[in-house]
Amino acid sequence: MKKTFNKITCSVAAAAVLLLSSCSKKIDEAFANPNSLVRQPIETLLPGVIANMAIQHSANGTLYGPQNDGQYIGRFIQNWATNTSLNQYDRMGDNFINNSDVMGSIWAMHYYGMGKNITQIIEWGTEEKKWDYVGVAQAIRAWSWLTLTDVHAEAVILKQAFRPDLLVFKYDEQEEVYEEIKRLCTRAIENLSKTGDGVSAANLALGDQFMNGGDVNKWKKFVYGVMARTYHRITNKAALYQPDSVIYYCDLAMQTNAENTSLKWSNAGGSGTYSYWSPFRGNIGTLRQTKFIADLMRGVNGQFPTGSNDPRAPYIIRENPNGTYRGILPAKGGASAGLLLGDSSNNFWGGLFQSTTAPGSDANCRYVFTNAPIFPIISAAEIQFIKAEALFRKGLKPQALTAYINGINLNFDQLIGDYQTNVPVGMRISPTTRAAYLANPLVVPASASLTLSHIMMQKYVAMYAWGLVETWVDMRRYHYTDLDPVTGNQVYREFAPPNTTSTSGVNDLYPNNSGKLIYRHRPRYNSEYLYNVDELNRVGAFALDYITKEHWFSKP
Amino acid sequence: MRKFLQLFLALSLMLILLPPALQAQERTVSGTIISEDNKTPLSGVTIRVKGTRRIVQTDANGKFSIKVNPGETLQVSYVGYQTVDIKPDGGTVGVSLKTADNTMGEVVVTAMDIKRNPRELGYSVQKVSGTDIQETQRENFLNSLQGRVAGLTLDQTSGIAGSSSAVVLRGFNSLSLSNQPLYVVDGVVTDNSTLNETSSGGATNGLASDKPNRVSDYQNRIADINPSDIESITVLKGPEATALYGSQASSGAIIITTRKAKTNKLAIQYDNSFRFQKVTRWPETLDGYSGGLNTLPSNSFTRFGPAYAPGTQLYDNKDYFFRTGTAMTHNLGLDFGFKESKFRVSGSYFTQKGVVPNNDFKRYNFRISNTTKFFKNMLEIIPSFAYIKTENHKVTRSAGGFLLGLLIWPSTNDIRNFENQETGDKTDLFDGVSANGEYDNPLWNVNNNKGREDLSRKTYSLGVNFNPLKWLSLSGRFGYDTYDQDGYLFFHPQSFYVTSGTGGTLDNYWRHYEGYNHTVTATAKKQVGKNWNLRLMGGSMWQDYKTEMYAVYGTNIVDSVGGLLNAAGNGKMYLTPRDAQGIVIPGGVPAIITDKQLSTLLGNYMDSAVTRPLTRLRLNRNKFGLPNYVQTRQVAFFGEFAVNYKNFIFLNYTHRFEESSTLPKKNRRYDYPGGSMSIILSDIFASLKKGNILSYWKIRTSLASTARLNSPYSTQSVLVDNLASGGGYSYGFFNNNADLYPEKQSTYELGTELRLFKGRLSAEITYYNTLNKGQIIENFRLSYATSFVLNTQNAGSTRNKGLEIVLDYNVAKKKDFNWDMRFNFNRMRNKVVALPKNLSEYYIADTWLYLNARGGLVKNGPTTSITASGYAVNNAGQVIIDAATGIPTVDATFRVRGDRNPNFTCGWNNSFRWKNWRLNMLWDLKVGGDIYNGTNQFLTRSGLSKRTADRFVPRVIEGVLNDGLQNTATPTKNTIVIIPAYNNNYYTTMPDGEFIERDVNWFRLRDMSLIYQFPKNFIKRFQSLSAFITGNDLILLTNYSGADPGVNGNTAGGRGVGAFGFDYGTLPSPISINLGIKAAF
Repeated sequence: MKKTFNKITCSVAAAAVLLLSSCSKKIDEAFANPNSLVRQPIETLLPGVIANMAIQHSANGTLYGPQNDGQYIGRFIQNWATNTSLNQYDRMGDNFINNSDVMGSIWAMHYYGMGKNITQIIEWGTEEKKWDYVGVAQAIRAWSWLTLTDVHAEAVILKQAFRPDLLVFKYDEQEEVYEEIKRLCTRAIENLSKTGDGVSAANLALGDQFMNGGDVNKWKKFVYGVMARTYHRITNKAALYQPDSVIYYCDLAMQTNAENTSLKWSNAGGSGTYSYWSPFRGNIGTLRQTKFIADLMRGVNGQFPTGSNDPRAPYIIRENPNGTYRGILPAKGGASAGLLLGDSSNNFWGGLFQSTTAPGSDANCRYVFTNAPIFPIISAAEIQFIKAEALFRKGLKPQALTAYINGINLNFDQLIGDYQTNVPVGMRISPTTRAAYLANPLVVPASASLTLSHIMMQKYVAMYAWGLVETWVDMRRYHYTDLDPVTGNQVYREFAPPNTTSTSGVNDLYPNNSGKLIYRHRPRYNSEYLYNVDELNRVGAFALDYITKEHWFSKP
Repeated sequence: MRKFLQLFLALSLMLILLPPALQAQERTVSGTIISEDNKTPLSGVTIRVKGTRRIVQTDANGKFSIKVNPGETLQVSYVGYQTVDIKPDGGTVGVSLKTADNTMGEVVVTAMDIKRNPRELGYSVQKVSGTDIQETQRENFLNSLQGRVAGLTLDQTSGIAGSSSAVVLRGFNSLSLSNQPLYVVDGVVTDNSTLNETSSGGATNGLASDKPNRVSDYQNRIADINPSDIESITVLKGPEATALYGSQASSGAIIITTRKAKTNKLAIQYDNSFRFQKVTRWPETLDGYSGGLNTLPSNSFTRFGPAYAPGTQLYDNKDYFFRTGTAMTHNLGLDFGFKESKFRVSGSYFTQKGVVPNNDFKRYNFRISNTTKFFKNMLEIIPSFAYIKTENHKVTRSAGGFLLGLLIWPSTNDIRNFENQETGDKTDLFDGVSANGEYDNPLWNVNNNKGREDLSRKTYSLGVNFNPLKWLSLSGRFGYDTYDQDGYLFFHPQSFYVTSGTGGTLDNYWRHYEGYNHTVTATAKKQVGKNWNLRLMGGSMWQDYKTEMYAVYGTNIVDSVGGLLNAAGNGKMYLTPRDAQGIVIPGGVPAIITDKQLSTLLGNYMDSAVTRPLTRLRLNRNKFGLPNYVQTRQVAFFGEFAVNYKNFIFLNYTHRFEESSTLPKKNRRYDYPGGSMSIILSDIFASLKKGNILSYWKIRTSLASTARLNSPYSTQSVLVDNLASGGGYSYGFFNNNADLYPEKQSTYELGTELRLFKGRLSAEITYYNTLNKGQIIENFRLSYATSFVLNTQNAGSTRNKGLEIVLDYNVAKKKDFNWDMRFNFNRMRNKVVALPKNLSEYYIADTWLYLNARGGLVKNGPTTSITASGYAVNNAGQVIIDAATGIPTVDATFRVRGDRNPNFTCGWNNSFRWKNWRLNMLWDLKVGGDIYNGTNQFLTRSGLSKRTADRFVPRVIEGVLNDGLQNTATPTKNTIVIIPAYNNNYYTTMPDGEFIERDVNWFRLRDMSLIYQFPKNFIKRFQSLSAFITGNDLILLTNYSGADPGVNGNTAGGRGVGAFGFDYGTLPSPISINLGIKAAF
């Protein structure tokens, strides 16, 4: 009896051991996720990262990127305003009281949309010795850091960034972020310069189809463009600003429109393959050009009082049914003072002012408002204006003038080359109109008469509607309304922030701003306000007027 | 009705043609043996025909049948009971056995299909008989369990035909994983999943469009079981009882035993039921104001405009909308057999027309089972096969559903004119607004935004019992379960819930489940000396479940594309009939055509081919022609050692070792112990039984720990599709954790059982306390600096404790009259003990139904909390009033502002018997617990809630002004007078917290059945015949202002605590009356 029992026990135990090992194997087979993989080729990770430089659209997350936050920034810099009155963003406000993620999409782009994707391109690219991919990833990350800190100042997580193992995160200083950008740019140039190993233009083109098509030289120009921007941020810091470095990187950056860093859309798939501002996606039905840009383009701004339309006007803004160019005032909507009946401009999709619905096709849309526009990230014109400002600050006015003229010319070329399609033939730039414009001393003065206003306001035009973050940086460097030390006029002449546009005694500035203009975005609500409270308190981000706090870069 | 007649005729014919064998001299006597003192059936009772070798034993329900020749005597004997002799004269006998020593003779089926005497058990189990379930006439048997089991909470999601239900035992333990129990049918684990609408961007199973488990409902799959096939249900509430079933039973287990053949002679059972349903519960609305704002009229659904002009014609749209729901069931059962092999075949047909138009549900069940004994009962095999088919025509629910549309629809407009008779277009209520710009007329909605689901399911099971030696028994339970489920969810291009550019949406899916599991056990018993009994059991279990899915989502229904490009047909559907490739069909009618015409042109136009190809989204692997799938596998070894001393002290120890595929290799093997003790005090101290007051007293305790597993693949951060230009992949939201280990849940339970006054009063009291540590919190938010949006960690803890009392009282016991009462009392307290550091609130996104209220959780708050926005208050707690408008300001932060957990619940079951009449009534009492009335918030914002009736009454809101002094010692008291009618922001900005209704009670009559048993031989050949009338949900007494507080904002496919107590656009259960007969031949 006992023997039998023992025998049974032994054989059961032996069977169990055998069974267990074969079971373990079957169990292990069911462990890995069959539907989504933990690793994919880096060539397939890059398209999403690039798309994110305008707007993300993945199966997990959409609407992250500068095209989204740009809707609001464009209001602060008066590229556009809302068709109805008292829009809180027109008034330089935010949506903090509603716990909103509005104005947090660049934050999401940087940490989530690009975050681990870039980290893995760098890591796996290094393993595979695909240095071109590594360089591109570093370049985009440098750009992304700059864009992030341009918007969120020092309330960004640098040293502890991209750490899935941490629960709380410390914010770092803006100055440190600039150092990281410079470090990344240097590494990017090193990697983009490598040849051999897994480097191949054809292979890079697989992931880079919608940016530079695999051309590492264009990527290098982009990196230098980021460097030029970074070095140029601190013009107000007399002791730290190095115009020579700015000029040096400008000369290495894109010089022709062919070298521009621009994003494209395939326009052949779901809504993610269309621009966020396209009629197909229908997101900007309430935005209208402002009086500020319209006055600039019709030659009535005191800085360029040509009295006639800028030849570039039909390319970048919209005429009204009367065939003239007019714009609205922020927070005033269609009831903007001085707007005559019928003078209300068409919307950016070519519809009437009143219409907020998107047309079925983009046949009457222009510039960066078509379904799949060429969307610049950094343009050669911009670089020339940065250079002009640096040269001007150095006191080299003739050279500054040259760069200034180059900038305007590059912008004309860019518009003719990239945005002519839907501009009616009769309204297109002709060599005559262009020459006449450039020959006008009100536009191109003698070098001795060149002012910061000339440079900054032509730069404003050349970056209209796409260079939103950069223009906002510029305007904040000049505190929106700083005066030109030479002329005594505002650098951004006639630019009127909402509080001063008041005619009825009502202050148009957002009430929670405590009478101050906007300087920054808050950290993204659903990333930080529930989960990083200590750090938010440290930087004062719970204050209602936190958005009016100036950045380190623009302080003296 | 015609179908019923046909069936009736067929049955009558069968009766006439019955084989003459039935009329032989030898007849079959069947009956039930119960224990006299507590009226519970006795299993294993020996019935012998005196002087012969014919012996049978009663089954788990105390039933038996045996062949008897005239004049023979039956001897009924059972250990511990007095033996009795009976001379059967009829076909059925009922015997009550007197106890010899007051030992209870009940049998319950516990884990692993093991039958045990309850006196041994150190934990609480509760049993519900199949008859009780069947008598409720509810097609989803889960819905009949509320109030019948202490500690069981039923979560019925809505009153829509085919909707899902969930059961929670002893409250919510897990914050982000499933809290549903395991379902075991005849020892085989059976799937009860509900389709989850969320596919996380195609990364897992779900709809390709990623919906939040509240748009459409999908049946919970255990409801596929035919209630008539259920013999009994045992509810194992604590993890102690299920320590042997392992991690998947950490929320308890529901053990279902199916009906088996009772005899090898032909026996037929037939019953039917005809149901009528009506919607009687309805949120009260204020119907006196036309559209507009601040008393000024405008074309708007918002009713803050002027009062209706006198004589305005109003339509009773609610009556036009709902219909009388009907349903019909036919159940047929056949028992037959050959010698030691007995068969049971059953079939059921259920068809339902819901109270909402276009909402129908059909179910067909077929089941065959067999019990065969070999070698003089040494070997028994029990194979079975079941086939189930269901068809469900569905309407949408919650936001996007018909109910909100019906509520907000102006009664000045007749909803029946919902479409243009000529064009088939949705009628614009306010001319000039695009069709997509205004609410869907509810009738238009249910006719055009629709869904369908078909299912066919096969389950196979095999039970084997082998008793080679007197002391050794081996048993195996093998089960294979598979189903195919396919369906669609369609939103019409003109619907309010899609934009005109979207041009309609269509989700199609196909889901295929295959599950195999087996359990093999060996049990050895030994008696040591006179007083000691030992039992040792060992076993192993293998489980392998796989769900495959294809799903596709597309927009721009082909013909609306044509419409979009045509200015005249903007947003209209089917402007020009086109084929699947989008090519215009020659000769197609160049106008808007009806669905019917379209289906003749296009065939199955609910096929994904009707969407614009470029818009289609698919699940990840579908793009390569492969199904997405989720698979889990688990192997377990377990053992149990039991000792009993003199049959009055029982000690039990169990241990289970598991290895599971959802966990990373390093944490994949885990084990946990369980122990219990039961002491029959009344047997140890026999003096207690003196005076005939106390007959039985048991005390028991158990301690156990168990594990709960993570969702499959939540250990791997994966790449999902990049849908922007260039395609490829991007990292998904989920920071999945490669270091996860199983949650540890530990429970202790104390209980006592008493029987008093000769068994007329019995009580069972249980206290339990569960701590769930190292909870796997899935999908919680942190800073995006993690590179992700949602995170997963073993970081939370919850504590759950409660008291359950089951009281049985035989109120009256006369010859012709009997009245039994049972109370199932339940009180639970739950608390979130720990959350990941720095996580101020954790919530399941699906519960975020409307505006700013959701099932959010905070540390030290209840597990069942509601977080929401509320009025902003100063340091002294006074409401802060906007100094400019006089309207309170809102604190938009999600704070805990309600707890859905009731103070206690109590089911009260009454059964009366008077001669041939029986009346059963189940009342359900709930006291306390908060409900978020989102429907009322919606109505208030629309000026339709009764809350806005006094809109013209001037008022000063109690509070202080936000003038900078609000937090000082001298805040400025608000004196601003507002008249909400002229300042409707007062209503439209009212925060969600104001719509949480406190301490909602209910007392409802869940089920009531009146049954008349016709006298024997009322109709010849009928063994028994009864007729019944049953009402469901007839009475609801509540202090809740909405329609019914017993609703759920999500389907049973959600996870965590879910959205019970969130009322937003959900149809409550209608009242039902069922009539029918039940017969046995």
